[in-house]
Amino acid sequence: MLLQTTITGLAIGGIYALMAVGYSLVFSILNFSNFAHGSVIMLGAYAGYFVLTRAGAPFPVAIAGSMLAGAVIGVANERLAYKPLRVRNARPLYFMISAMGVAIFLENLVYATLGAHFYSYPEVLGRSIVRIGEASIGVLDLFALAFSSVAITGLHLFLQRTKSGLAIRACSFDMTVASVFGIRLDRVVGLVFAIAGALAGLSGVFLGMKYMAYPTMGWITNKAYVAAVIGGLGSLPGAVVGGIALGLLETFVSVYVSSIIRDVFSFSALVLVLLAMPNGLMGKYVEEKI
Amino acid sequence: MKRLLAATIVLCLLGLQLCGCGGGTKPGDQAKGPEEPKAPEVVKIGHAVALTGDASIWGQSESNALKLWVQKVNEQGGIDGKKIELVTYDTRADSVEAVNVAKRMIEQDKVVAIIGAAQSGVTIAMTAVTEPAKIPLIGTTATNPEVTVKDGAVRPHTFRVCFIDPFQGTVAAQFAATNLGAKTAAVLYDVGSDYSSWLAQYFIEAFEKTGGTIVGKEAFRTGELDYRAMLGKFKEANPDVMFIPTAQKEAALAMKQARDLGYEGKFLGGDNWGSPDIIELGGSAVEGGYFVNLASLEDPDIQDFIAEYKAEFGSDPVLPNPVMAIDALIVLVEAIKKAGSMDGDAIAKAIEEIKDLQALTGKVTYDPDTHNPLNKPAIIQQIKDGQFIYVEKYVTS
Repeated sequence: MLLQTTITGLAIGGIYALMAVGYSLVFSILNFSNFAHGSVIMLGAYAGYFVLTRAGAPFPVAIAGSMLAGAVIGVANERLAYKPLRVRNARPLYFMISAMGVAIFLENLVYATLGAHFYSYPEVLGRSIVRIGEASIGVLDLFALAFSSVAITGLHLFLQRTKSGLAIRACSFDMTVASVFGIRLDRVVGLVFAIAGALAGLSGVFLGMKYMAYPTMGWITNKAYVAAVIGGLGSLPGAVVGGIALGLLETFVSVYVSSIIRDVFSFSALVLVLLAMPNGLMGKYVEEKI
Repeated sequence: MKRLLAATIVLCLLGLQLCGCGGGTKPGDQAKGPEEPKAPEVVKIGHAVALTGDASIWGQSESNALKLWVQKVNEQGGIDGKKIELVTYDTRADSVEAVNVAKRMIEQDKVVAIIGAAQSGVTIAMTAVTEPAKIPLIGTTATNPEVTVKDGAVRPHTFRVCFIDPFQGTVAAQFAATNLGAKTAAVLYDVGSDYSSWLAQYFIEAFEKTGGTIVGKEAFRTGELDYRAMLGKFKEANPDVMFIPTAQKEAALAMKQARDLGYEGKFLGGDNWGSPDIIELGGSAVEGGYFVNLASLEDPDIQDFIAEYKAEFGSDPVLPNPVMAIDALIVLVEAIKKAGSMDGDAIAKAIEEIKDLQALTGKVTYDPDTHNPLNKPAIIQQIKDGQFIYVEKYVTS
């Protein structure tokens, strides 16, 4: 039971982590919570579904297609909704309000065009399960967990080892100073949104396969946001740790305490962490966080 | 800013008011039913049904079916020689409209009783008119317990022909114990839904009465999608059946996740499963699942009716409303015959005394304390090869 609970917790936490990284990445550069991230995930889920069913493409193509769609939507979102604010040096609060507007807009766009119908992914990986001792895990979960780890590791290497990664890290410390040193801000911000969008597309496909694609699925990301805050907004390792920790906490509470009061625990954990460590578990520096 | 906010709120409220009024004053008489001079040899029965709007697929079919059946009763001599005249009005499944319709039926058409409505909320609204007028009202598919019982007291002139929602829990429990041979069961329900919570409660009571053991009872909140923590707990206890009385989306996901965790027992559910969505969403995981339903096209007892309906209207009736309305008519005809009068109190009393009356979908006995039919047979269906198949008609013991 303990093993099964841990495995289930890791599977749920893995998805939280993947989504939380997207929040943290944008936050590390622009210092605001991009609440449109959930909607990009939702659109990614739809993109994957349509590539898979309407175009009849194989599964890897669907993943690539949905990551590409997520990246494009992410960049378009930044160019249309955030750049006008950025060039005017608006305060982070206005970015967040704009992000909420984008989230509501995208959700309603889907309602208006595709309707409230639930789209269920075909069973690409089958219903087979893998047994680990007494416990078992779905192949899809295992695949999602593995792929999420690869994506997050890849992102980490990209940030640490490449020139563009260095530029992103420089901007996350201080955008003005970085631009003085010749870093082109537009390009770095665009890159960050493309990466965050691609990760959103990836999480969208996994969420869609695990559950289904529907217009309000973006709200699941509230939990991912909580995970990002617990881990420390702006910190990528923090997002991963926060996601896994939240997934495990929820699962253990459901199993050993009560499933009904699970969310009470999740949000209490958020409050407690913030009281004890205002920057989250791995947040680096204090500043206005919105 | 504050003033703007206040102005917006006022505007919104005005908008709502206008919508509400619009709904109330529009004439809803797409259906026929002109006032005719009272003829002594006619028994007027009102039929409140949604002929337009979202529920009209069922409503149209219900209206057709009831007309067909009235014609049949009239050909066989009507009620003690008096012909039945059906007065049909459109409710649009709207409470305000239905109250107006009920008033018109009672005051202008002078009906002796009313059949309808299909929706619990609409039926409850209608009782505000029918109860003071002492006109018997028989709900067709109004399954909410409060339709006939308000604050613990039965509404004297209000009845229904369907079973109440929670009764499905009893059916599922007894079916699991007797037909599936289940000794242990686990229940996963939606704590945010009355329907789901009551079904779970009734299932647990009935299953324990059969000598079975409930090894797990877990709930989630409406909108949640991941139940693996709860299902993992169930799997540990490995129950013979899992009862999941939720809407089709949640049920499909729960079954998928339970199979992923390696659960190999059987799944059971309520009539909310009866939507093709569950197969699309659940895929191979929902195969073999059983669920309780109100009616089925494959029910052997209604084959004659389906054939007649098809011959007349060229398509299958849209169940369950048509057969439920016919059951209501059969109950009403029997009660009027027994009462020997058109008085509302006398007819209501006669309905209360109905015992083992052969209606279209099975035998009907009324419980005078709740005005619900007792032991009304339910249909058990199974998901097989991506289709809903008829398993059997189940009568609880």
